[in-house]
Amino acid sequence: MLSKKDRREAGQGYLFLLPALLVLGVFVIAPILYAVFLSFHKVELIGGATYEFRGLDNFMKVTFDDRAIIALKNTGIYVAIVVPTQTFLALVLAASLNAGLKGQKFFRIVYFLPTLTSSAVLTLIFMWMYNQNGLINYVLKFLNLPTYNWIGDPDVALIAIMIMNIWATAPFFMVIYLAALQDIPDSHYEAAELDGAGPIQKFWHITVPNLRPVTSFVVIMGLIGTFQLFDQSYIFSGGSGGPNNSTLTVVLLIYQYAFKTLGTMGYATAIAFMLAIIILVATLLQRKFSKEESLY
Amino acid sequence: MRRTKWLSACGVSSLILATMLTGCGNDNGKEETQSGKTEIVLSGWGGNPTEKKLLNEVLSDFEKEHPHIDVKLNTISDQYMDVLKTRLIGGTAADVFYLDAFEAPALIETGAVEPLNKYVTTDFDLSDFEKPMLDAFKEGEKLYGLPKDYSTLALFYNKKMFKEAGIKEPPKTWEEMEVVAKKLTDQEKQVYGLGMLPQIERMYYMAESSGGQVITDGRATFADDKVVEAIQPVVDMHIKDKTAATPSEVGAGQSAGEMFGRGNAAMVMEGNWNIPFLEDTFPELDYGTAELPTVNGKKGTMSFAVGYAMNSESEHKKESWELIEYLTGKEGMKKWTSKGFALPTRKSVAADLGFDQDELRGPLVSGADYATVWQDGPTLPIVMNNFNNQFLSAYLGDRPLKEALKDAEKQANREIKVTE
Repeated sequence: MLSKKDRREAGQGYLFLLPALLVLGVFVIAPILYAVFLSFHKVELIGGATYEFRGLDNFMKVTFDDRAIIALKNTGIYVAIVVPTQTFLALVLAASLNAGLKGQKFFRIVYFLPTLTSSAVLTLIFMWMYNQNGLINYVLKFLNLPTYNWIGDPDVALIAIMIMNIWATAPFFMVIYLAALQDIPDSHYEAAELDGAGPIQKFWHITVPNLRPVTSFVVIMGLIGTFQLFDQSYIFSGGSGGPNNSTLTVVLLIYQYAFKTLGTMGYATAIAFMLAIIILVATLLQRKFSKEESLY
Repeated sequence: MRRTKWLSACGVSSLILATMLTGCGNDNGKEETQSGKTEIVLSGWGGNPTEKKLLNEVLSDFEKEHPHIDVKLNTISDQYMDVLKTRLIGGTAADVFYLDAFEAPALIETGAVEPLNKYVTTDFDLSDFEKPMLDAFKEGEKLYGLPKDYSTLALFYNKKMFKEAGIKEPPKTWEEMEVVAKKLTDQEKQVYGLGMLPQIERMYYMAESSGGQVITDGRATFADDKVVEAIQPVVDMHIKDKTAATPSEVGAGQSAGEMFGRGNAAMVMEGNWNIPFLEDTFPELDYGTAELPTVNGKKGTMSFAVGYAMNSESEHKKESWELIEYLTGKEGMKKWTSKGFALPTRKSVAADLGFDQDELRGPLVSGADYATVWQDGPTLPIVMNNFNNQFLSAYLGDRPLKEALKDAEKQANREIKVTE
């Protein structure tokens, strides 16, 4: 039994928590519960909301929705290419900036700059460069390389977004790697040098293993970020996911079903839940494979 | 002492709450303004600056005649329908809004649009409207919107190029056009006979010209042989004859008008919007317009209509109707269409302004009679998306048309099933 004093103290504690609890409850917990509710219904919110219970219907529909499958495939390819590339690039950049080269502080700033740009602005700038008569094709032509219709060709549109995203997010992870690199004791490298290890051996046998917890973090954050790709493909395709569904991602599809087609809000929330589960599974798998339990 | 602690705790939390809540409250401007006027909101998409200025003039004329009403114009510049839908859900949509005929049936189904039948008086003279444009906003006997203007497609041709190729007059039939296009094409200079957007909204009339149906009972049926045969010539002109091209192939983005203006195409099938565009951007261009070539001996064109619709949850329906009545009435429409940005949907206004006699706009106006209105029920947006996606692959020569359309039809119907 709590004494009167304890109870009063607990009451005061909860009272001070109340604003935060309310905010969380109204803006985080309630929407999630509402979304669960929606995913089992056919919903029409315009003109006086109507809900019609459909059970698992919304979840089953995905199996015969070709666009959902295309969206999942696009997102899968995107994740599979972008996450390893940006992680590796971030690691290499960080290692090179930590090697004690001349002017490395300057390059740290330069490399970090892309991260500061908002992704919408970034996409617009890239679209301008990707233009058929734009900067990138100009450079390619100058180097006698083939040019592409980056925005209009279904075969290259997704690749164009990948390049843009790797360029923009790798520096962010680079900074995280840089911080971790400073933590590796010099004595390890000195010992390895005495044993006759070269720079590449030192990188693979000391730097990479020591960074494993950070790599795990970078990959998980990368997975979550890439699975949720939306703004770039939205702006790139004007909201359509075109040309020929080549830039259609799962989140863009959710947006289209929620706000573009009428009466599919419930279906959209069902896809959103499935995406959440996919991300959860991918994260758990990553953790299992990296065998890193110490940090999270 | 104990009590004051409690009180201050309450005070702090309620203060935080209060600030949060006031942050959420919104002022949607539907309340009466201070001077006792009723304020109603009109929302639409932004046109070009001149067009917007013209609309503001029409609105201020209306306010002069209806001193008790204050109209607030609210332009949604991008993703109009998405914004409108979210506002309708949130209850903050305008009292009167633009509605594209193409999107109208799906929105009408939800009950968000107010039927206008009970407001329309005999004075308003409904029979004066071009019937196809009016029908586009009807569901059975109920009228859900009044067309503010429309445009049809006509054949724009470059007079200089025609002269150089020794062609006296614009082609009358599709076969003639194929022949003429060959003479006009010069691939080395990136000049094509016909500039074409490979989209269903531009060739719906063609697709149905030999008896096929693009949509039957809300289901996509465009893989029907009759439809495939009817639009095969469009693909052939691009792949076999190489006398037609899309704007993006010559670096003109998505604008056939720009392709035409820059001289990359000798002919394009465009609407009324192209006339002010060419005047502004390519004032030197010497061009003419003609009715679209006949397909299988039948006249045909597309017509795109936009109407004013009333929010069924509006608190000022009477005033909203007064606004719609004025804007689509003889006087308001005359002013709105007087500069030639759009064609009037009232026959009397069209005759008044003399657009049917106009050298450039005449062919567009004559098209109104036999045009296919770009509206075919609530499933049209889905059908359009899937058709365009796959048609493009056939148009680029990746696969045969029949096969592409079969796939697209299957996908469209699955998607329609998903939304049910």
